[in-house]
Amino acid sequence: MNINDLQAKTIWLRQQLFEMVMRPKRGHIPSSFSCAEILIALYYGGVAHVVPGKPEDPNRDRIIVSKGHAAMSQYPILADFNFFPKSELLNFTQKDGLLGMYADFRIPGIEGISGSLGHGVGMGAGFSMAARQDEKGHKTFVILGDGECYEGSIWESAMFAAHQKLDNLIVIVDRNKLCIMGETEELLELGDLESKWSSFGWHSCTVDGHSFDELLSAFSLVGRTDGKPLAIIANTVKGKGISFMEGRSEWHNRMPSNSQILEARAELGMED
Amino acid sequence: MIVSDNLKPPLMRDVVIDHIFEEARTDKNILFISADFGAAALDRYRMELPDQFIHAGISEQNMVDLSSGLALSGKKVFLYAMAPFLTARCYEQIKCVIASMNLPITLIAVGVGLGYDHATLTHFTPEDIACMRALNDIEVLTPADAEAAKEMTNIAIKNPDFRYMRLDRQGLAPVYNGQFKSLYRQGFGHIVKGRSVVIVTCGMLLQKALLACEDLIGQGIDAGVIDLFQIKPINGQELAKVLAGYKAVVTVEEQSLEGGMGSALLEAMVDYSVCKPVKRLGMRDGYAVVNGDRNDLHELYSIDTSHMINAVLELMEFSG
Repeated sequence: MNINDLQAKTIWLRQQLFEMVMRPKRGHIPSSFSCAEILIALYYGGVAHVVPGKPEDPNRDRIIVSKGHAAMSQYPILADFNFFPKSELLNFTQKDGLLGMYADFRIPGIEGISGSLGHGVGMGAGFSMAARQDEKGHKTFVILGDGECYEGSIWESAMFAAHQKLDNLIVIVDRNKLCIMGETEELLELGDLESKWSSFGWHSCTVDGHSFDELLSAFSLVGRTDGKPLAIIANTVKGKGISFMEGRSEWHNRMPSNSQILEARAELGMED
Repeated sequence: MIVSDNLKPPLMRDVVIDHIFEEARTDKNILFISADFGAAALDRYRMELPDQFIHAGISEQNMVDLSSGLALSGKKVFLYAMAPFLTARCYEQIKCVIASMNLPITLIAVGVGLGYDHATLTHFTPEDIACMRALNDIEVLTPADAEAAKEMTNIAIKNPDFRYMRLDRQGLAPVYNGQFKSLYRQGFGHIVKGRSVVIVTCGMLLQKALLACEDLIGQGIDAGVIDLFQIKPINGQELAKVLAGYKAVVTVEEQSLEGGMGSALLEAMVDYSVCKPVKRLGMRDGYAVVNGDRNDLHELYSIDTSHMINAVLELMEFSG
């Protein structure tokens, strides 16, 4: 897809997610919206190798949304890839539905369970090591929350992946600068994440996480064989696309009122 | 079966790792991961099979998360560390990425219970049975001798599943004399058959239970001993049949009484309507750092041979 198509696909994803969440009034919109462009770039921008209709393809790239509350962002995409019927999106979090609040590995296209923070880099390092041992060329992409980087396990695995020279492992940090209780830099400073990752032995760079030009430019570094895993710090806006949610921590899992739903739908370009 | 004389039984960890090594030489999917905990057998393993050994760092969280990605990629993964650090230290990781996905990963913990006697509380695991058996779909196994350890390892290699193997720090004298394989599926060994009071234990304390039993038999008391080597899933149905032949039960363990082996046995007894007097010996609240070797600690925590004998005698009086 070209950049215009990717942008259109991102609008489609936000619309799909909003509708998916508004039915049961359950889910995390702002966290999902901040990583929408990242996921669209991975799945549709020629970055990750994922074949429609083949969730078990052994050569597929593994994509893990480690910030599990936003793993639901994958659902409309995975349905679009014909990994499961689109009708499942209507049953999000419903009793007999396939799709839950947090992603489970039994869902076609979901590689591992999520919901508890801090597991994705280690799990991803496992996929990457197995691929290398089996002489397979596939890669592993892990989307982390910036707040997730408070978890010590992230840094244990970051050190490990660099030592093991896992250049088939790519981390994208969704740097929306918010966690549940407020701004990360005020609550407990995360500071310069790019230099933190590079000091752990990773190749790292910082981009605008809502710009396909910048994201695709960073993803052009995927496939290097310099022995360094890659960390892309993607500066984003939590709640991107719905103005009253943008940059406001209180919307983490709050549901909008009826009038706010109308306002949001209008901003997302949805017809009534 | 009786305890055989053997001056120096091999360390449990060496028995297990040597067996994994033999299989790993022909099965490239076997991976052994250590969080900086060694063994003589592991030195050979990592020298000869460097591509099938991973040092995870002193990073148990990383070790467990890593293992999930490997197992999901079809690898047969063995995680290895000192018991306190392979359990409570990374419990969150085990719960989320192994138990929640029921991945075929074997956790090999060394030094369970009070094995690291002089290291004291930070190295003890009075809660490992309680916390590990609470996990979804796990098997909890405690080998009481090298033969049991080797067979458990064999099963873990041939039929990978989510398992927790509780190895003693020491080598343990042989108990099973070639009979463990036939007992594995039963989940426990009825080592000494009696009719009055049965002492139920597992692991290293089996040696002391056998001594207590010998003493009791010398006093004319028809005591028995059970090695409850598989605490989960517990074979309550078969245990109920065996316990039906006794008047009372004593359990003894290097574990907190809340949730340990004795608790597991009580639950099974209730589930199978076995109503007998039970005396549980184990660690009670209030323990603190003390210096002493393992025998001293057993005495201090009232789980030594003489306390086992006294518990049996008390129950004999109680149950007539």
